[in-house]
Formats: sequence, structure tokens, C-alpha cells
Amino acid sequence: MIQLSDIVVKFGDFEALHNINVHVKEGEFFTFLGPSGCGKTTTLRTITGFIEPVSGTVKMQGSDITHVPIEKRNIGIVFQSYALFPTMTVYDNIAFGLKIQKLKKPEIDTKVRDIARKVDLTDEQLQKAVSQLSGGQQQRVAIARALVTGPAIICMDEPLSNLDAKLRVQLRNELKKMQKYFCITTIYLTHDQEEALTLSDRIAVFNKGYIEQIGTPNEVYNHSRTEFVANFIGDINPLGEGVAKRLGLDGKQHHFIRLERVRVNREKETDEYQAQGIIESREYYGLYIKYYIRAEGQVIKVIEKNDGINIYEVGDTVTVGIHPQDVMSYDAQ
Amino acid sequence: MQKQGASKRALGGLDLSIIYKIFGGVLFLYLFLGFMVVPCLNTLTSIFTTKDAAGKTDPLAVIRFFFTGKMPSFVWNSLKLAVCLVITVNVVGISIVLLTEYFDIKGAKILRLGYMTTLIYSGVALVTGYQFLYDSNGMITKWLVEIMPGINKQWFSGFNAVLFTMTFACTSNHALFLRNAIRAIDYNTVEAARNMGASPFKVLFRVVMPTLLPTLFSLTVMTFITGLCAMSAPTLLGYNSINPEIVRLAGSSTANESFPQARAALLSVILAMFTIILLTVLNHYERKGHYLSVSKTKAKLVKQKIQSPVANVLSHIYAYVLFIIYMTPVVMIVLFSFQNWAAVRAKALNPTEWTLMNYFGTQDFQYTRSNGKTATRINAISGVFSNEKTVGGIRLSFVLSAVAAALACVIVVVAVNYIFKHRNKKRAAIVEACLLFPWLLPTILICYSYRVFFNGNIWYVFGQNLYYRENVRFLIIIAYTVVKLPFALRMIKAAFYAIDDELEDAARNLGASQLVTFLKVKLPIVLPSVLAVFALNFNALFTEYDMGATFQKSEGTTYAMVIQSMCNEEGRDNMNMNASGRRCASTVFIMLVSGLILYLVYGVGARDLGERLERREKRRKFFNRLLGKGDAAKKAQA
Repeated sequence: MIQLSDIVVKFGDFEALHNINVHVKEGEFFTFLGPSGCGKTTTLRTITGFIEPVSGTVKMQGSDITHVPIEKRNIGIVFQSYALFPTMTVYDNIAFGLKIQKLKKPEIDTKVRDIARKVDLTDEQLQKAVSQLSGGQQQRVAIARALVTGPAIICMDEPLSNLDAKLRVQLRNELKKMQKYFCITTIYLTHDQEEALTLSDRIAVFNKGYIEQIGTPNEVYNHSRTEFVANFIGDINPLGEGVAKRLGLDGKQHHFIRLERVRVNREKETDEYQAQGIIESREYYGLYIKYYIRAEGQVIKVIEKNDGINIYEVGDTVTVGIHPQDVMSYDAQ
Repeated sequence: MQKQGASKRALGGLDLSIIYKIFGGVLFLYLFLGFMVVPCLNTLTSIFTTKDAAGKTDPLAVIRFFFTGKMPSFVWNSLKLAVCLVITVNVVGISIVLLTEYFDIKGAKILRLGYMTTLIYSGVALVTGYQFLYDSNGMITKWLVEIMPGINKQWFSGFNAVLFTMTFACTSNHALFLRNAIRAIDYNTVEAARNMGASPFKVLFRVVMPTLLPTLFSLTVMTFITGLCAMSAPTLLGYNSINPEIVRLAGSSTANESFPQARAALLSVILAMFTIILLTVLNHYERKGHYLSVSKTKAKLVKQKIQSPVANVLSHIYAYVLFIIYMTPVVMIVLFSFQNWAAVRAKALNPTEWTLMNYFGTQDFQYTRSNGKTATRINAISGVFSNEKTVGGIRLSFVLSAVAAALACVIVVVAVNYIFKHRNKKRAAIVEACLLFPWLLPTILICYSYRVFFNGNIWYVFGQNLYYRENVRFLIIIAYTVVKLPFALRMIKAAFYAIDDELEDAARNLGASQLVTFLKVKLPIVLPSVLAVFALNFNALFTEYDMGATFQKSEGTTYAMVIQSMCNEEGRDNMNMNASGRRCASTVFIMLVSGLILYLVYGVGARDLGERLERREKRRKFFNRLLGKGDAAKKAQA
């Protein structure tokens, strides 16, 4: 569907993207994940045509669009701020692209009302000013505006970042539903790993202008290819020299284990390494409880489901168990 | 913005864009050099090219004359006025803002309206209004003499009069900008200080005032420049400061005194030097932040009650005394505009007789001769809207101001769009600096330079003499436009900052060309600000005095000059006795026009699309209800 090959982007002397290679498949929900300044927005802007790469090619449906002007690319964008035109009504916002294409009025009207219905906007809302809508409604307008011209692909640049936590989760689900409904190839940008894991078919993790890993949420989370990915996605325990030695791990490498993979007060399994530890402190999250356990000269974080069974108090002595196959190891850089 | 893919065009398009660029650059240079640099340089050089009696050039003649003659006294007088104004305007300006915005004073809304009258009542209209009330036979002076016989009847003249008038006339900027600054204060800081035990006055001086300091600094510099460049008040009230002298010298000839033009040039250059120094200081200071832009209120300030009963009563008295000072001229002018010539002339209200003759009177003035017979003075028509000279002045000022205000807006919008497109590039900085250039020069220097330089056939304006006859109107439009560019630039640039970059990207992504993006997306967003700038500039130019006075000429007699001439005619027997009443009516007309424009800008223009749609919906419902009721009534009848 869309293929980036060896993309290099420079701003003056600064190389913002180094040899970016991505292949997004038809109908896929593909996420660019990374901290701010990692190059994900630059990559998106290269796809949409706001930036011309120094070298490399952008191909869409097999044809090279590297030098095709922005307006001829047929790529829809939902902006971070939604970028809805404040001086136009909701209707005029959605109709803007169609008017530019010089479609006839009745045709524009049919298309606008059709897409509005699909994203759950009422006729009354269409006549309102953008400022009169809620955050969620504004997002739907932005999506409708991006979709109405029938783009081959839609790009979303952190569309949930300026909403409050509850609305964010709600709209996240709506987004996913809508994407399935429209079956449209979607490139989604976020710095929120939870968003990336819940929404995506595949994720590309960006760091300092490089792609560290491309994979399904499970691959990225459980089989992080690099130390950066392991640390950036989810919480993780770095394992100290003591534990590493006891597990018989390579002393030159860095080792990590996910919180939920550490077993507390369980029966010892084969291959499992166990040690005694003391609960140092705990954080209560409601759904689960996070314990900080001092063992083998380091603090190991563990989460336990808040089911009323595995509840420990500060000062309790517990056994901590780790399976060597759950440990992720990386060469020291 | 990064290099854009779309900027690569076919060869034909590329050629066209180069032609545009060259054309734009040449036009810009022509305007900047031709109408800013060259005329002003001409003024500067004229100082050093004075010829003595023998016809030999004597470069230092004017300088020598300056130090031996009484010219330094004009500079000194201007400086004295500026320094005193800084003190008095700040005291009054800070007072009116604190009284209406910070302290809990009863009737603050009414008080604010009174204090804001200077926004619609300023310049020559205001000065003549004050003169009407306060001069030796003015109403208030007479009243004061009655209660305090020892008072000097002539108190309202020269320096005192100018200082008094300008103290109250020049608080408009405080009313606008200091008000915004005080409303932007985070109320939590006040609460925190109170919580820690500070008294309201301690909070005021230790917490509130320091946050206002940047704004106050800007206002102080602006007030100082206003005082230095004062024109209408000194001219009309008789105070020998720099500007009136420049205008007098500009109209003088070598037959009457030694090298008046060179002296005028020297004085305007001295004024320019002061302005440049002050503005450089201000600019340097302001670089730390935007102080003049309108700020959004975050945590709303709660008005502070003055705890001490004595202080509270005193504050109320002070507030209402100021209110009376602000309102009396306005109320009196309105009342007198409906009085007949006898009452106006006697400066005593006649509550039994009211008339519209000052507005619509069509008869020529009749007066009694010494031999007892009456005679008619032709063309001494009393009504503002019937007197050809007055209507002509209004019409001319209206057209010139509208054209100039529009021109300034168009130039600045195009320029700011260019500046934003090329921001962080030298080109943008140069364009911006050129547009701010007139800010450095006193208005009088620009106008004086135009008057002298274009009073000859200049090759680059097609060999025309722009000061000749009707051409002067064209020259006035150029001067009006140039002088208003810096203000327009500052305000419109602030508006462009409000455009989210993503909006432009979105429009381009949806297929809009750069021109369509500008016209359909960016322009509608900045349009309210642009219209506001247009309106404010129009308001200022419509009754503008300084430039009109510099260019004074029968073909270029602007409204302010008409008002001034009415002032001169006033009280002179056998002249146009009704001039005074007509002047009152003129002032009322100006206040109406200015008030309407301000209402349109701040009341209507400030509404966003949402508010407009809501109002439209309300109106629709209202009319539906009306019509619905009507229908029901018809049905009932049937």
C-alpha cells in the first residue's frame, strides 16, 4: 500500500531521519510510536508531502509519489489540533476539500451528509460552528473531513493528545471501530504506548530518527528488539549483576524482565530461579497493586491483580521467581 | 516551514513566480525609498545646505542660529510638557484603571464608560471642548470664580491648559492596555498574598503593581512621545512647543525670517532623535515579551473591597471627581449642540430654548449693524450638514481616511503574510523593519518632509508636483497610510500568530492552492483584527489634526482644520457667529461616528462564528414566535 524506502530527511545539517524503511499494508492500522522529537512526525510529513526527503522514495500503491505535490497525493490527515477552520461551519469544513475539487453542489451535499451520518454527526451539528462542538465531536468532524474526499490512506497525528484521560479512552475505541468500519489504511502517530498497543495491527517504534523495531503489539512488547524499545514500552525491571549471575546470564549484556512476569510466592517450577525478598513499599492502582520488593541487592517491581488473594503488607517476606526465558537481554551500547 | 514539495512547478510557472518576485521587490523598493527614505533624507540634508545672503552654502548656519536664538526654548518647552505629562497621565491613568478594575467601587461600569470617553472624544474636538468650558469666560471657570473669588480667571492658558487637557485626553492607552494587563493577573497570586497576611494595599504594591510594570513602562514611553510631539493642544491653547513651531516655520518664508525651512527641518530632526532613542529603549525592553498584544484572562480577578471606611469614601469621591472631569465636556458639548447661537456664545445654558439649527440649520447668519439695520452674512450657515465648508471637510476627511486606512491594511496584510511565510529569514526581517520605520519618525517630520520634497516636480511620481492643488489630497493619503503602517503591522501580526500552522497544512492537504488557503482559511481568521485595525485607524485619521495642519491648503482642508477654523471665527463679530454651535454639533457627530465604529469593532466584530450563529438562531426563534403569533391571530380572525 505505502512503502518508504531508505528515506533520509535533513534540516540544514541536522539529519532528522536516517534510512527509514516502512511498508504499510492495505487496510492495516499502523502506528508510529516514539517520544517527541523521535522523527515520527517528520516521517508522516514526508508521506503526506509537506517534507521532501533528501534521498529515498515514497511509493503508494506501487507508484512513486516522492515528488508529487501535497494536494495530489490523495492522503487524508487528521491533525493533532484537528485543524478545523474556525471561521467555517462544520458543514463547510467537511465540504472544503470537495469544493476545491469543484464538485457540483448537490454532489457535495450528498457526500457531506453521507459521511456525517457515518461518523454520527447530526444535521443540526453540521450547521454549527466548530467551537460549539465538544472535543469528541470535533474529532469526528476532523475524521469526516479527512475521509470525505475518499483518500487511499488516512494519517492521524496524535489525535487524542489534547483530550482528558477518560475521553481519550472512549475516543480511542471509537477510532478503532471507525477504522474497521471504513476499512481504510491508517497511519497513526502517538507517544502513548498504551494507545499504540491497543489500537494497532503493527507498530514501528521510532528513536532519534531511526526505526528500532517494527512488529505486532505482542512482538514489540514481549520480544522488544532493542533496549530502547523494552524500556519505552511498558514498565520493566532492569536486572542487577546479582540476579543475572544467579540466572547464569551473560555478564556483558543488559537484562530486563516485565513486571507481570515476575512470580511472587509461587511454587518453584523447573528452570525457575527464586530468591527471598522483603516488600519495601507498594502503590495501589485499584485494578492491580504494584509492589517494590528488595531482593538480591536490588529493587524488583511486581504487579499483582487486586483479587484479594495475593495481598502483601510492607515488611512481609516473599519469594520472587523469574523464568530465564522471560528475560530480555541486550548488548551493552 | 520546510521546503515544500509543491513548490516545484513546471518551467512556465517558475518563470511567472520569478517575475512576481522581481515585480514585488521593485515595487517595495520604490515605495520604501520613494515615500519614506528620500523625502526624509531631503529634510535632513536641507539643514546643512543653507545659503547665506551672498548665496554661499553655510552648513552650520542653522546650528549656530539654534544656539543663539530662542529655538532651544521650544525644545525645552516640549520636554517640560513630556516630563510633566508622564507623571500626571500615569497618576490619572493608573487611577482610572484601578478604580474600575481592581477596587470595588460602586458604579464602576458607569465610571468606566466615563473614563473611556476619550476613545471617541479626542484630538482637536476635545481641546476645543475643554477650551469652551475652562477658558477665562468658560462656564466652569466662571462658576469657579463665583465660589472662590480669588481664583485667577486666566488659569486655563499656556502650559497649565495644555497639561490639564492632555492629562485627561491621553489616558486612552491606559484605559485599553493597562486594563488588559490588570485583567490578565492571576487572581490566585492575590489570594495567596492575602492568605499570607498581606493587606489589600500591600498586595497592590507588592504583587499586582510589579506584574503591571512592563505595561506601565511601555505606556510611559508612549506618553512621553505623545507629550513631545503634542500638536493640537499647544496650537489651540497657545503653548510654544516644537510641533506648532515647525508648522509655523513650514508656512513661513525667507522674506519674514532667516531660513525658516531649515529651522523647521532641524526641529523635526531633533524630535526624531528623541523618538528614536525612546523607541529603541522601549523596543529593547519589549523584546522580552509582547506587552501590547491583547492578553487572555486566565483566573478572573475579584474586585478588592477597601477595608478602611475613610479610604473607601475618599476613593469613591476621587473616582467620581475624575468621572465629572471626564464627563463634563462631553455632556456640555452635547447639550450646547442643541442650543441657539446666543446661548452658545454666552456659554450659558438656556433650558427653555432648544434647537436643531446647529445640525440642520440652513439659513445664513443675520446680524445687527451699528446703524441698527440687519445684514446677512453669506455662507455663514449654522448647520453642520448644511454648511458647505463643514460638509466638504467631513467628506474629504471621510474619503481620505477610509482610503488610507484601507491601503494600510492591505499593505500590511500582504506584508505580514509574506513575513510569516519567510519567517526566520532575513528578507522577512527587512520587510518588517521597513514597515516599522515610520514609527521612528515623528508624524510631523514625515509630513513636513512630504510637503517640502513633493512641492516640486519629482521624476518618480511622473514629474508631478504632489503638493500642487488637488494633488495634495493624494499626498495626504500617502502620509496617512505611511503613518498608520507600524500600528497596523503590530496588531495584524499579532493576529497572524493566532493562526495554527496545522490549519494551513490541512487546507493544502485538502487540495487548496496557496492563494485559496490565504483567501479562504487565513484571511477569514485575521479579518476581525484587520477590520478592527481599519476602524481604529479610520477613527484616528478622520479627526486627525497634526497632518492636516502641516498640509493645510484649501484643497486639502480636512475635518479637523474645519473645526479649528470654526474656533477662530467664533466670537468675532460680523464673522460666523454660529461657528461655535456648529463646532459643538460637529463634535457630537464625531463622537457618534467613532462610537459606532468602536461598537462595530469590539461589540460585533469580536464575536466568533459560534456566537454569531447562536445569535442568528435566537433571532430566528424570536421572529418565528412573532410570526407564529401573527398567524394564530389571523386564524382566530378567520
